[in-house]
Amino acid sequence: MSVAELKERHAAATETMNNLRERLRQRRQQLLDTDVAGYASSHGRTPVTFGPTDLVCCRTLQGHTGKVYSLDWTPERNRIVSASQDGRLIVWNSLTSQKTHAIKLPCAWVMTCAFSPTSQSVACGGLDSMCSIFNLNSPTDRDGNLPVSKTLSGHKGYVSCCQYVPDEDIHIITSSGDRTCVLWDITTGLRTSVFGGEFQSGHTADVLSVSINGSNSRMFVSGSCDATARLWDTRAASRAVRTFHGHEGDVNTVKFFPDGNRFGTGSDDGTCRLFDIRTGHQLQVYYQQPSDNEVPHVTSIAFSISGRLLFAGYSNGDCYVWDTLLARVVLNLGSLQNSHDSRISCLGLSADGSALCTGSWDTNLKIWAFGGYRKVI
Amino acid sequence: MPPEEAVTFPSLENEDEEEQPYSFAVEYTGPPVPYDLPRAVPINVEKIPVATVVSKVPLSNTELHIPVVPPILAPDRNKLSKELLLQPTVSPTSVIAFEERVSEDTNNCLLSGELSSYESGELAELINNNDNSSRRLGACSVSNEHSSMLDYCDSFGKSRESSSRARVSNDDDLNQPDWGSNESVLSLDYPSSRVSSRKTGDCNNESNADIKRPQVVTFRDIESDDGLDEEFGQDEVQPQVARVKREPQTKGKKGSCYRCFKGNRFTEKEVCIVCDAKYCSNCVLGAMGSMPEGRKCVTCIGFPIDEAKRGSLGKCSRMLKRLFIDLEVRQIMKAEKLCEANQLPPEYICVNGQPLCHEELAILQSCPIPPKKLKPGNYWYDKVSGLWGKEGQKPSMIISPHLNVGGSIRPDASSGNTQIFINGREITKVELRMLQLAGVQVAGNPHFWVNEDGSYQEEGQKNMKGYIWGKAGMKLVCAVLSLPVPSKSSNPGGELLNSMSGRSVPDYLEQRILQKILLVGSTGSGSSTIFKQAKILYKDVPFSEDERENIKLTIQSNVYGYLGILLEGRERFEEESLAEMRKRACSKDTDPEGSIDDGDGKTIYSIGLRLKEFSDWLLKTMVSGHLETIFLAATREYAPLIEELWKDAAIQATYNRRSELEMLPSVASYYLERAVEILKMDYEPSDLDILYAEGVTSSNGLACVDFSFPQSLCDENIGTADQHDSLLRYQLIRVQARGLGENCKWLEMFEDIGMVIFCVALSDYDQFSADGTNKMLLSRKFFESIVTHPTFDQMDFLLILNKFDQFEEKVEQVPLTRCEWFDDFHPLISRHRTNTNSNSINNNPTHGQLAFHYIAVKFKRLYSSLTGRKLYVSLLKGLEPKSVDAALKFAREILKWDEERANFSLSEHSFYSTEASSFSH
Repeated sequence: MSVAELKERHAAATETMNNLRERLRQRRQQLLDTDVAGYASSHGRTPVTFGPTDLVCCRTLQGHTGKVYSLDWTPERNRIVSASQDGRLIVWNSLTSQKTHAIKLPCAWVMTCAFSPTSQSVACGGLDSMCSIFNLNSPTDRDGNLPVSKTLSGHKGYVSCCQYVPDEDIHIITSSGDRTCVLWDITTGLRTSVFGGEFQSGHTADVLSVSINGSNSRMFVSGSCDATARLWDTRAASRAVRTFHGHEGDVNTVKFFPDGNRFGTGSDDGTCRLFDIRTGHQLQVYYQQPSDNEVPHVTSIAFSISGRLLFAGYSNGDCYVWDTLLARVVLNLGSLQNSHDSRISCLGLSADGSALCTGSWDTNLKIWAFGGYRKVI
Repeated sequence: MPPEEAVTFPSLENEDEEEQPYSFAVEYTGPPVPYDLPRAVPINVEKIPVATVVSKVPLSNTELHIPVVPPILAPDRNKLSKELLLQPTVSPTSVIAFEERVSEDTNNCLLSGELSSYESGELAELINNNDNSSRRLGACSVSNEHSSMLDYCDSFGKSRESSSRARVSNDDDLNQPDWGSNESVLSLDYPSSRVSSRKTGDCNNESNADIKRPQVVTFRDIESDDGLDEEFGQDEVQPQVARVKREPQTKGKKGSCYRCFKGNRFTEKEVCIVCDAKYCSNCVLGAMGSMPEGRKCVTCIGFPIDEAKRGSLGKCSRMLKRLFIDLEVRQIMKAEKLCEANQLPPEYICVNGQPLCHEELAILQSCPIPPKKLKPGNYWYDKVSGLWGKEGQKPSMIISPHLNVGGSIRPDASSGNTQIFINGREITKVELRMLQLAGVQVAGNPHFWVNEDGSYQEEGQKNMKGYIWGKAGMKLVCAVLSLPVPSKSSNPGGELLNSMSGRSVPDYLEQRILQKILLVGSTGSGSSTIFKQAKILYKDVPFSEDERENIKLTIQSNVYGYLGILLEGRERFEEESLAEMRKRACSKDTDPEGSIDDGDGKTIYSIGLRLKEFSDWLLKTMVSGHLETIFLAATREYAPLIEELWKDAAIQATYNRRSELEMLPSVASYYLERAVEILKMDYEPSDLDILYAEGVTSSNGLACVDFSFPQSLCDENIGTADQHDSLLRYQLIRVQARGLGENCKWLEMFEDIGMVIFCVALSDYDQFSADGTNKMLLSRKFFESIVTHPTFDQMDFLLILNKFDQFEEKVEQVPLTRCEWFDDFHPLISRHRTNTNSNSINNNPTHGQLAFHYIAVKFKRLYSSLTGRKLYVSLLKGLEPKSVDAALKFAREILKWDEERANFSLSEHSFYSTEASSFSH
C-alpha cells in the first residue's frame, strides 16, 4: 500500500470520525433536557448559605520561598506535602503548622507532589520528566538532604501530575507532557501500563492532570491540553473507556466526585464542569461572568466530602466555593480577609473533609476550616 | 619601552587591528618596507616620561602619598621597612575615639544583656536587625506560629531578609569608586615587616603596643569586653586552649590606615576580622580583595577569625555599602557568616565539662531556641529544663531542652551554695530568691525537678506542684534578677522536628548567587550541542559513567536508525532502477543482454538474502517504533552483520546518493562512515561523538548544568577584578522546543532566570519542514512566540546564530534569498576577494559574514519591533569549543552589565549604540 493511498484513507477515516462525533454531540444535546442546577431549583432546593465566619483561614503555612505548585494531604488527615519552585518539598503538620521534612529536590522545576496512602513516602514530578519517590523514614545524608529512594523514568515530557493508587504504596499513576499517563510499579520502577501515546487512542496533547476513582481504584480520569478529559481502566490500557468533550480550553485539573460516578474538571476557558462517567453526559457547567473581560483560568478544583461544594481556584487569585447542586457561587475565598495575594495554584481537601488547604504563587499555603455549627459539608 | 620595536611594520599592524580597522594597513601585501613610518615615533616618545615619573615618586617620597603603587614598591623591601621603623611609636592609650563612645552607648543599652561593643555603623545595623526580627516575631504570632517555626523561617527567608536589610540602609550607590584599578594591586604581597598589632578591646591596660607580641597567646575569653562580664567578675575558669593569633603584617602610626599609612583615627576604617588590621576606604578593596570569606586581609584568608569579632560577623558597615553594590555586599556578608573558616570551633565550647564535637555544636546551634551569642567558654546545660549558663554562674537563658550535647550536669555547675537543687544542680542565691518570689516552698532544702515548661515537682514525688513561671509578674521578677524565663514561643509537647529541617543548609557554596541562563532553540538548531559543549568545557567530569553508557546506547540506536533510512532508500532506489530497467527492456525488446538482466531482477541496489532479511527486520521494528527497546539485543546479534551490510556494494551505492534521502540528517555520515566501529559492543564514545550525537540531552525535556567560568581561561590582563566572578555560578538550562507553544504552561516557571539564549541554525534558510514551511521562518515564529511570552517580559535575549561553518559553505552555493524573509539581501561583494583568512574580518568580510550580519539585523529589527529593546546577537560554530566559550562569556558579560546598568543608568545611551550589541569573533 503506497503512502499516498494511506494518507487518503487516513483523511477519510478522520472525516468519518468527526462526523460521528458531531452526531453524537447533537444526540447528547437532544437528550440533555436539563442540567443539575435546573433540576435542583425546580425541586425547590436552595443554595448553601455561608456566614462570614463559616469558612475561615486558620493557618498560614509559611516557609517556601518560591511559588507553590502542588499540595497533597495524607489520608490520616493532618499532614500536607507541598511542592514549590524553590526546589523543595515540605511536609507540614497542618495542626501545628510545623514542618516535619524539607526535601531539597535534584530538579527544582517541580510541578506535582503526592502523599502515599500509608504516609510513609512522598512522590513528586516536574520538568525533569521523572517521578521521584522519597521515603520519609530514610536517614538523611551528610548535607541533611533526604535521598531519592526511587526514580521512575520513562516519560518523554514533563510530569504534570501524580497520584498514588489508594490502599497500596506500590502503584502510582502519573500524567505527562508526552500525552500519556503511566501506571508505575514503584518497587520495580517499571511501567506497568502506558495510557495513550503515539499508536493508541489517547490524548492528542499534554496531559495535565489525573484523578483516581475513590471507590473503584481501577478507574481513573485524565485531563489534557486537547480540551478533553478521558476515562481509563487500568486493566485495559490500549484505549480510553470514554472521552469527554465540552471544554473550550486546556483541561487543567480533574477530580473525582466523592461517590465515584462523576468527576469535575477545571479549564483554561474559565469553567468547571461536572461529567457523569456512566452516561458520558456533561451534567453542569460552573461559570461566572467575570467583571472585567479577562477570563481567569481554573487552576485547581476540589470537592467537599459530601460533594455539595466545589472549591475552584482561579488564576486571578479568586477561589470560588460553588454549590454543586445549584451552580451558584456561595463564597469567594479570594475576597475574604487574609486571603492569598496571588494565583491559587492548588487546592486540597483533607481526608475527613474538615479542612481545605490552598497553595498559591505568593509562596504560602493556607488552611481553611469550617467554623460555626458545621464541621464538614 | 624601546621605540624601535613599536615602529617596525608588523607589530604596528597588530596594534591597529586591535584598536580600529585601518583598512589601508592591510591592503598592503607587498614586502615589508625597510623604512620607519614617521608617525609612530612621537606617540612612543610621549609614553616614556609618564612611566618614569610614576615609578620615581614612591621611591623618593617618604610620605607615600600615592596609595595605589605598592606593587612597584614590592621589590624594594629594605627601604620600606626602614621607613616603617622611622615612624613614631603608637601611644598605647589611643583607642579610636568614636569606638569608645559607641561602646559606652552599648553599655547603656545592655539591658538585654547581649550587646557587645560595635562600631557605630554596626550598631545601627544591629538595631536594624533587631527591628527585623521583632517584626518577624510579630508576623509569626499573628499566624499562630511557634518559635521553632521562627527559626525555620529564618533559614528559608534569609536571603530575603538580608536583601531587605541591605536595602534599608543603602543610600548612596552612585559614588562607586573605580575599584578596577584598586583591585589590580591586590595580589601583590606586602613587605612583611613584623610589627605588632593592636587589640581594640584590651589594649587599655597594655603598656606598649609596639612591642612584639608572642606568636602564640593563650586563649582570651572574649566576654571580657562584654558589659555583662563586669558583674560576673573576671575570675572564671579559662579554657586551656591555645590558638595562634594572626597579626597584621604591616602597621603604620596609630589611627592610620594599615596600608596607605594615611588618615587619622577619625577616618572611617574597615577592620580585618582575623588580624585586626584597619584599612581606610581607599585601601579596603586592595587589602581585602574580593572578600571570599568576608572582611579579611588577603593574607588572612583561611585563618580562623578573632573571636572578639564574632558578634560583628555578617553585619555590614556603611563603608562596604558605599564600595560595593548591593548584591556584592549581601554576598560578602553571607560568605562571612557562613564560610567554614569563620565558624565557631566546636572544641572551644565546653558543656558540662566536655568539649563539644562538630555534631554537638551543630545540634546546639540548630535547635529551636539556641544559646544566644555562643562564644568559646565553659557552660553548663540542664537538659531537663533547658537552663543554660556559664560555668560557675547563674543561668543566663533557657534554650531547647533534651539536646544531646556535652556531659551530664554537675551539682556545682553554677557554684551555688543554697543547698537547694534543681535537676541535680545546686542553685544560686539569685535563683533561690526567684523561687521564693514565685511562691515555691523551699523549706527543708528540697530537690526539684523542673521541666522545660516550668512545671516542677519535688524529687521522688509524683504530683506536679505548679509552674514556676506561671505566676503573673514572674517575668518582671526574672527581669529584675536578670534570670531567664522560657521563651513564650517554646513548644512543649510539639513534635520534634527533624534536625535537618530546623536549620538552613550550611554549605555556603549553595548560598552563592546562581545566575540562570535559559537555552532555547527549535529542534536542529544546535542548542543541545551548545549544552554539551558547556558541559565539556566547564565540568571536570562532563559525563558520568552512567551518562556515557546512556549516550553510547543513544548513539548506537541512532546509527541503527540511520542504517534503516539507508535501507529504506535502497529499497526505493532498487524499485526505481528496476522500473527504469523494465522500461528500457520494453523499448529495447530485442536486446538479449537486457532481458537477462531483467530476468534476474538485479540492480546495483540489490542485496543478498541474509542481508535482505535483516533489512526487513530492521525496517519493521523501526516502523513499529520499538527500535529503542530491542536494539540492545540487536547489537549483540547483528554486530558482525553490520560490517557485511556496510561493505555491501548496494549500501555503498545508496550511501553515495545520500543527498537524495531527506530523512537522513547531515550528521549521519559522520557516524555511518564509522558504523562498524560504533556498533561494536565495546565502543566508547569520544567527546566529539557525543557532540555530534542527536538526542543525547533531549531525552528528558529539561537539562541543566551548573558551572562557573574557570579562572585559567580568563585573560591575564583582566586580573584580580575577575577573581570573584569566577566564583559566581551559572546554570545553563536547556529546554526542549517541543511543547513550547504559545500556551505553554510551564514556561512561567522560568521567571527567575537572568537571560534567554535563543538558538537559531543559520544553515536552516534553505531547509524545509515536512509540511513545506521554511525552517528559518519556523524559527522566526518560534522566536516571536518566546520573545513575546509574558514570562520573558523585560528579559534580556541573546540570539545565537549557530552552524556558521555550514552556513558559510552553503551560502556560496545556495543564495540566501531562498528564504523569502531574506529576499532583499543584495550584498556588495568586493571584486578582489582575499582568501578566507580570519584576519581580514574587519576589512573584507566574506559573503558568509555579510549574510550573517544581514540576518542578525533582521532579527534585531524583529525583536525591537516586538519589544522595543535591543537584541544581543552572537555568532557560533557549535562544534568549536572556543566559539561556544566565547558566546557563553558574552552572555556572562550581558548579565554583568545588566547588574551594573542601574549604576550607569545616566550614561546608558552612550553605551548603547546600535551595532555595539552585535558580537563576532
